[in-house]
Amino acid sequence: MSQSASLPLVASLLDAPLPVSGIAWLDAVRRENRAAFAASGLPDTRVEAWKYTTLRGLGQRSFASGDTDAQTRVVDASLLALPGVDGARLVFVNGAFRADLSVLDNLPAGLSLQPLSQVLRGDAEPLRFALSWPAPVRHAGEVGDAFARVNAASAGDGVVLRVAAHAKISVPVQLVFVGAAAEADLAWHARNVIELGEGAELTLVEQHVASGEQAHLATLVSDIELREGAQLHHTVLQHAAIGVSLVRRDNVRLRARARATLHVLELGGALVRHDLQAELIGDDAQFHTRGVFMPHGRQHIDTQLAIRHQALNTISTSNWRGVANDRARGVFRGAIVVAPGADGSDASLSNKNLLLSPGAEIDTKPELEIYADEVKAAHGATVGQLDERSLFYLRSRGIPLAEARALLTAAFCRAVLDDLPNKALREHLSAMLVGQLPDA
Amino acid sequence: MNSSMINESSTSTTLRDNAEVAEVLGRSYAAGFVTDIEMTSLPPGLDEGTIRALSAIKQEPSWMTEWRLEAYRHWLTMPKPDWAKLNIDPIDYQAISYYAAPKAGPKSLAEVDPALLETYEKLGIPLHERAALAGVAVDAVFDSVSVGTTFRKQLAEAGVLFCSMSEAIREYPELVQKYLGSVVPTGDNFFAALNSAVFSDGSFVFIPKGVRCPMELSTYFRINAQNTGQFERTLIVAEEGSHVSYLEGCTAPKRDENQLHAAVVELVALEKAQIKYSTVQNWYPGDENGVGGIYNFVTKRGDCRGDDSKISWTQVETGSAITWKYPSVILRGDRSVGEFYSVALTHHYQQADTGTKMIHLGKYTKSKIVSKGISAGRSSNSYRGLVKMEKGAEGARNYTQCDSLLIGKQCGAHTFPYMEVKNPTAIVEHEATTSKISDDQMFYCRSRGVSEEDAVSMIVDGFCKQVFRELPMEFAVEAKKLLEVSLEGAVG
Repeated sequence: MSQSASLPLVASLLDAPLPVSGIAWLDAVRRENRAAFAASGLPDTRVEAWKYTTLRGLGQRSFASGDTDAQTRVVDASLLALPGVDGARLVFVNGAFRADLSVLDNLPAGLSLQPLSQVLRGDAEPLRFALSWPAPVRHAGEVGDAFARVNAASAGDGVVLRVAAHAKISVPVQLVFVGAAAEADLAWHARNVIELGEGAELTLVEQHVASGEQAHLATLVSDIELREGAQLHHTVLQHAAIGVSLVRRDNVRLRARARATLHVLELGGALVRHDLQAELIGDDAQFHTRGVFMPHGRQHIDTQLAIRHQALNTISTSNWRGVANDRARGVFRGAIVVAPGADGSDASLSNKNLLLSPGAEIDTKPELEIYADEVKAAHGATVGQLDERSLFYLRSRGIPLAEARALLTAAFCRAVLDDLPNKALREHLSAMLVGQLPDA
Repeated sequence: MNSSMINESSTSTTLRDNAEVAEVLGRSYAAGFVTDIEMTSLPPGLDEGTIRALSAIKQEPSWMTEWRLEAYRHWLTMPKPDWAKLNIDPIDYQAISYYAAPKAGPKSLAEVDPALLETYEKLGIPLHERAALAGVAVDAVFDSVSVGTTFRKQLAEAGVLFCSMSEAIREYPELVQKYLGSVVPTGDNFFAALNSAVFSDGSFVFIPKGVRCPMELSTYFRINAQNTGQFERTLIVAEEGSHVSYLEGCTAPKRDENQLHAAVVELVALEKAQIKYSTVQNWYPGDENGVGGIYNFVTKRGDCRGDDSKISWTQVETGSAITWKYPSVILRGDRSVGEFYSVALTHHYQQADTGTKMIHLGKYTKSKIVSKGISAGRSSNSYRGLVKMEKGAEGARNYTQCDSLLIGKQCGAHTFPYMEVKNPTAIVEHEATTSKISDDQMFYCRSRGVSEEDAVSMIVDGFCKQVFRELPMEFAVEAKKLLEVSLEGAVG
């Protein structure tokens, strides 16, 4: 895999100066991950996790590191506004924290919300565990995690969010990652650490938005920990610029009785990869995901969901919809593992896809790996078209074909938003989905 | 005991239907065996010399030798695959003898392992077949060669060619040359390349245009089963509008000395032809501690080359320590149909990684996959499948159902389906479930006086019904018993 070191992308990422924190363990982690990335290079499609996502095109590009003008880029305030969301807000432009755009006054009791860059200037020790991932490996070959290593080496900013035990934060907290047009294509990175204490409750809205046309490469790694009985509602709206390559990874850990619900909308980006890994390590933990990916044009959107049931009576449900149009490609993997001894696990996963155009492609791979017998596990996946009879029904009532198609497609996607409790947000997201539909 | 007698009589009825067979059976042994293959074994090891020697022993034409050598050279360049969910001890390919003279078995049933005989008893295998299966020299007991000849006459009248692969290479070189390797190329995968280089023997079937094969080739094969060796090569060609049903293997455990089996099976269905291929695989799975057992690494692929053709795979896999096979169908012809019905049962330390690939190329092609996995003991059972709709697969349709049943706390059941869709008019559906036998079901049976073991076997049978329905009649009956026997000791 040495030839990939000569790829422009790898060379430019390795060229970027490592951020210096002055914290010995963190600087060591960064150096080790840089070295691991240098050794492994980029995964090719022979690596199972990257089977359907080729980095051949991306590998030929090079990116400038970081944005020296991140603090002065003009960002339209309307970009940040989201109906039903008006609480605390943390904004990053090209990976750098922007105090002027953020709302951090009057934080509710029990909520601590800070940019990583700030935390690192103080006591970084509580972040040691989260920031030490991925662990340094002495052998090359962990190539599937290449971008996580790039992130671990290069991310100097991000979100550090903590909710104290038993604090119930009623107003949604908003995290906004803005990709802003710059003089060159940039590579920027963000590292987020989110922790909910025992019995804490939080609603989180994560946005990826574009300010002007750009073709940056962004990597984001989030470490999300839910302590006993904590509850998290997490909504992700990915609406990045159409030229952007966006690689995200969420590692979610749920302890006993914790419960996380994720809603994900993947709309923007040129090459989008989202690894969502959840470990249910406490008894009675629950993890629910709902998502829709709608690639069109030449977009490539790849979602890799991996859920590990490791404790008793854990529950996971996953409901994902994909709509691929034009020459776009949608990739989905939904892996569920029930570890030995995780009796009483109940896992279900559904991935339904619509293929709207002859040039589009959907590749889906639901997986079950079951090592315990007292379990219920089921998955289903379909790829197809709109139901002819439903179309006929609508047309027979005078609705033109294009409109009927749009209507049915919208209904198909909206199903994943049904249980989003924030009504204003739900309607806004629903409108965005409709906006992305062809013929609408 | 009762049921085994019923079973025995049903099988015998099939035989007795054929008056000629009955007549042959009644006759005393007359003709000799074909013994011209009695050769000394080749020493262990594999190089070009081994292949040339093997080819020479089998009196093959030079093109065949070259074909083997080409496969061997390709094999040398290939990495050993490691993607399957299997733990395999490294295989020393130089320690295998690639040609061995048929081994002498026990002289009579009295010398056969009583445990094996007990299993035959449970399965209801007819007495005269038990000897053949146990590897006893069959001359006094049952003259398979003569019976075979009778069937052969009948097949010849219909124009069906059915012979061993070695014979086909000598007798019908133009057919073999045309079709061999046309579905599974020599360099297809590691084990297919190895097989192409060193295959020992196998079956060749050719059904000419418009012919419906007059008998289930299963019947023939069952009595005529020979030790085809560890690198079996089978080729079935069904010409336009023809029809054939073929059964490989046997419900009864077979005595076998070979550790590694790497077979290749190729099916070619031309326009409107239909091939039904059923497998019952019950090789030695190793003991309850996972010691020993056969490695079964098989490449099976069918090519629906003509429009409106159909290929159907049915498999019942209960044997082998490690099973690694994916009977596949390439749906090339328009409106062609591919089917895959599978029951895979693993117990003790067995590992199975099996499934299918349906590659849709033609318009309005259809495929159906029904896979039932049962894991017990400390075994691991994976379904791995691919459904691919290529750009031209207008209006193609697939339905997949994979169910897994877990018996016990230490086994694993896994499902890895891949779906790749490039045509917006194609429809792919996949469903999978994993569960254990529910306490409610057990309680219902137990409260009605059904023993725990019987209840399990009843529920397992129901679980597999969809697949058993696809098996030829007499094998369906035996398959049910086979699962019962294989699951012995899994409960309680």
